[in-house]
Amino acid sequence: MQRRLFISKSLGVAVLGGTLPAAFARAAAAQTTPGAATAGNRVLVVVQMSGGNDGLNTVVPYTDDAYHRVRPVIALDPKTVLRIDDRIGFNPALSGLAQLFHDGHVALVQAVGYPSPNLSHFEATQIWETASPDRPQQYGWIGRYLDRVYPLGTKPASPFEAVALGDTLPAALVASHVDVPAIGALGAFAYNTGRDLASKRSAGALYDGASGGGSPYLAMIADTAREAYHGGDLLRAKIAGYTTSVTYPTDGFAQQLRLAAQLIGTNAGAQIVFVSLGSFDTHAGQRAQQDRLLGLLGNGLAAFYKDLAAHGNDGRVLTLTFSEFGRRVEQNASNGTDHGTAMPLFVVGGAVHGGVYGEHPSLTDLDHGNLRFATDFRSVYATVIERWLGRSAADVLGGTFPHLDFV
Amino acid sequence: MIGKLDTSTDPQVGFRPAGSLDVSTALSPFGGRFGPRQAAHLLRRAGFGGSAADVAALVPLGAQHAVDAFLHPTVPDVEFADYPPELATVPPNMYGVRVRAVQHWWLDRMLRTRRPLVEKIALFWHGHFATAASKVPPEYMARQIDLFRLQGLGNFRTLLASVTTDPAMLIWLDNRYNAKAHPNENYAREVMELFALGLGNYTEDDVREAARAFTGWTLKNGEAVFNPKAHDDGLKAFLGRTGPFGGGDVIAIIVEQPIHQRFIARKLLEFFVYSDPEPELIESLASVYALAGFDLARTVATILRSNVFYSNRAYRALPKSPIEFAIGTLRYLGVTTVPDNLPIVLARMGQEPINPPSVKGWDGGPAWINTTTMLARFNYVNALMATTAPTLAPDAIVRAAGGYDAARVVEVLVSGALQDDVTADARATLTGYLESSGASAAGATANPLPFGYENYQEKIRGAVALTLNLPVNQLN
Repeated sequence: MQRRLFISKSLGVAVLGGTLPAAFARAAAAQTTPGAATAGNRVLVVVQMSGGNDGLNTVVPYTDDAYHRVRPVIALDPKTVLRIDDRIGFNPALSGLAQLFHDGHVALVQAVGYPSPNLSHFEATQIWETASPDRPQQYGWIGRYLDRVYPLGTKPASPFEAVALGDTLPAALVASHVDVPAIGALGAFAYNTGRDLASKRSAGALYDGASGGGSPYLAMIADTAREAYHGGDLLRAKIAGYTTSVTYPTDGFAQQLRLAAQLIGTNAGAQIVFVSLGSFDTHAGQRAQQDRLLGLLGNGLAAFYKDLAAHGNDGRVLTLTFSEFGRRVEQNASNGTDHGTAMPLFVVGGAVHGGVYGEHPSLTDLDHGNLRFATDFRSVYATVIERWLGRSAADVLGGTFPHLDFV
Repeated sequence: MIGKLDTSTDPQVGFRPAGSLDVSTALSPFGGRFGPRQAAHLLRRAGFGGSAADVAALVPLGAQHAVDAFLHPTVPDVEFADYPPELATVPPNMYGVRVRAVQHWWLDRMLRTRRPLVEKIALFWHGHFATAASKVPPEYMARQIDLFRLQGLGNFRTLLASVTTDPAMLIWLDNRYNAKAHPNENYAREVMELFALGLGNYTEDDVREAARAFTGWTLKNGEAVFNPKAHDDGLKAFLGRTGPFGGGDVIAIIVEQPIHQRFIARKLLEFFVYSDPEPELIESLASVYALAGFDLARTVATILRSNVFYSNRAYRALPKSPIEFAIGTLRYLGVTTVPDNLPIVLARMGQEPINPPSVKGWDGGPAWINTTTMLARFNYVNALMATTAPTLAPDAIVRAAGGYDAARVVEVLVSGALQDDVTADARATLTGYLESSGASAAGATANPLPFGYENYQEKIRGAVALTLNLPVNQLN
């Protein structure tokens, strides 16, 4: 915590000269760190499908008459779905994910939800991200996990061990004392002075020379300022040695996954990465919007998996998708769907036991027009925390939940 | 009931200033020197900071009269719309635009008002009764902020009663659905846990009984209405008392609890004075609050006039919240227009107004400070200095410095912005920056001269940004 990087206090400007401080440069000498999954190097990637993804047009019950009856316009043509079995199949936009499924790398968990579902975007997102349906929680489920892995006074070896790819920190990663950086664009993750490079150098000198003082907060602020200032350069240096032959799609989501693969495959040492895709809030004209987004999801995850595999990292990375809720079973008057409840989620990885977990939810036995959930989302989290990350989940989740066997 | 303050989830615990407190004189009126440091401290804590001229104008008043200027302002305020005018024209389905309108309306008041304590206390109560536009339509949020502005320095018992029937709160914590036939405990629980008593100082039975007392309120055409038929007028046993209580009775019982008085005293001290205040100091302020009959103006006045408020223990002892940092920066520079993207930038800094993350509000203290939010603060200042034309223009700074003298320019900046709370090393770095040749990589050969007429504009803007981005300027 009290790391000091006094470079040259008098005229550090010239000394720094746009290069990294020595301590950072040593740490940053880019090597890649592939390898098999061990408890210590396993990675969790969380993909948020924000806005509420319609599960019934994601994993389609294509032979169910009820499906075609309640969705006369927006139902998928049974001939087009990518069959999983003789009852359900993937939306064809998910061809990339379907291929991974057929290769045995995807667990499809059906009808995930929780009791007394909340249909507000904000509140449902909070519930999923804090794993707390009953009471508001200040810290996210991953934040609480991190707080336990790194008790007060300790910190991760790399500042990029847990990162959110985006401009703001999602609730899932809010921790009481672990500093999780939110990285929007790689180039924007920097102390930005435009073309005034002398100003940037001087800021570095000011932060490298800053120390605590009478205020109880000054030392913490000086440390954080230093890390924030050098963080972007450190990150770019750490991932600089990474090359890939995989061509990712050019959309923002796939590019986030590309950065995730770099963060994982280098000594940036990422172990938790949060990415998001949206908006799945398809109240009107659902097919075009959702199919486009599912295409981004499937193709992005396929490229990501291929890249991980090419670097020998597929076996130590587990990717989990979630959305704050599924959507109403019946289509609405605008050829869309309104907010609903349970939906399927995907777990992707070389170590994942592929297959379908749970029954497809009934379209006739409904709760106020909504699907009934079968698997509590906290069971998925508990499985990930205990079986994948190797920590106790009960204190993180505030209770015990039965495991699934996808890993 | 004696009770104990629950501080287990307060991240500010552990950030109490070092040294010991003389509690016997802590809340006595301060009679010491009131120089620029003390004046700037008062401006930051009771308001949102100010320009060097604002600080200079307070100094001759002395501490007690300066506090009077905040508490009993005699200057007419700037004319503001009572209600964001865009809400009348932007349709409800443009929800995000309406949210931005309310945010701009309030940020503009914080920036330009001559009565900053009114907005400051509104911000305090907004964090305390944390209600968010993520659930509550923005037109109700605007009315709630206005409520905090009008009653934030009134009587807490009245304020809590007003909050109970505030439409935004009726929506936020579902009390509009709380009826005799199907009670909803959400509001009753948070009144006790988060608004007035703290965890551990009531039972689940108290929650159920208070929820019964709060039944009967609902919303009609956007207004709170009381429906006697939906109200449970039976006997309730609440915090050791029994009667056919209504919401007002429950509130009256709550504020009489010594634990409530300490709960509010602690929150005010953490907002205005320093983190994790000593139990003796809390006790002392709780007595002031109780003796004042829960009058907030008198309680806050006691804080702002006190020895402990002007002590070294309190000086720069808190981190600025993002709103304090952002508005303070604009006020120092004399920028009088809220940047269009400020709500988005504030979200990156971790404090989007009218959108607190949960009913617990913002954690504050160390939770404001992490690498992501710090970069957001730095780049906010950098972008501002690259794009705006502040009153504190390079020309004005050169005039104040008496010429193109780098060291004198630095003195103008560190005294005006930071009351000289800057180390000699940092001053040397700032001076070195001004004297370094070339304002930019592109200009390095075009402007071989160090700080001088050719490139002074850009250089001074850079020096202002560096000054405002010093770690000490993150402290309030």
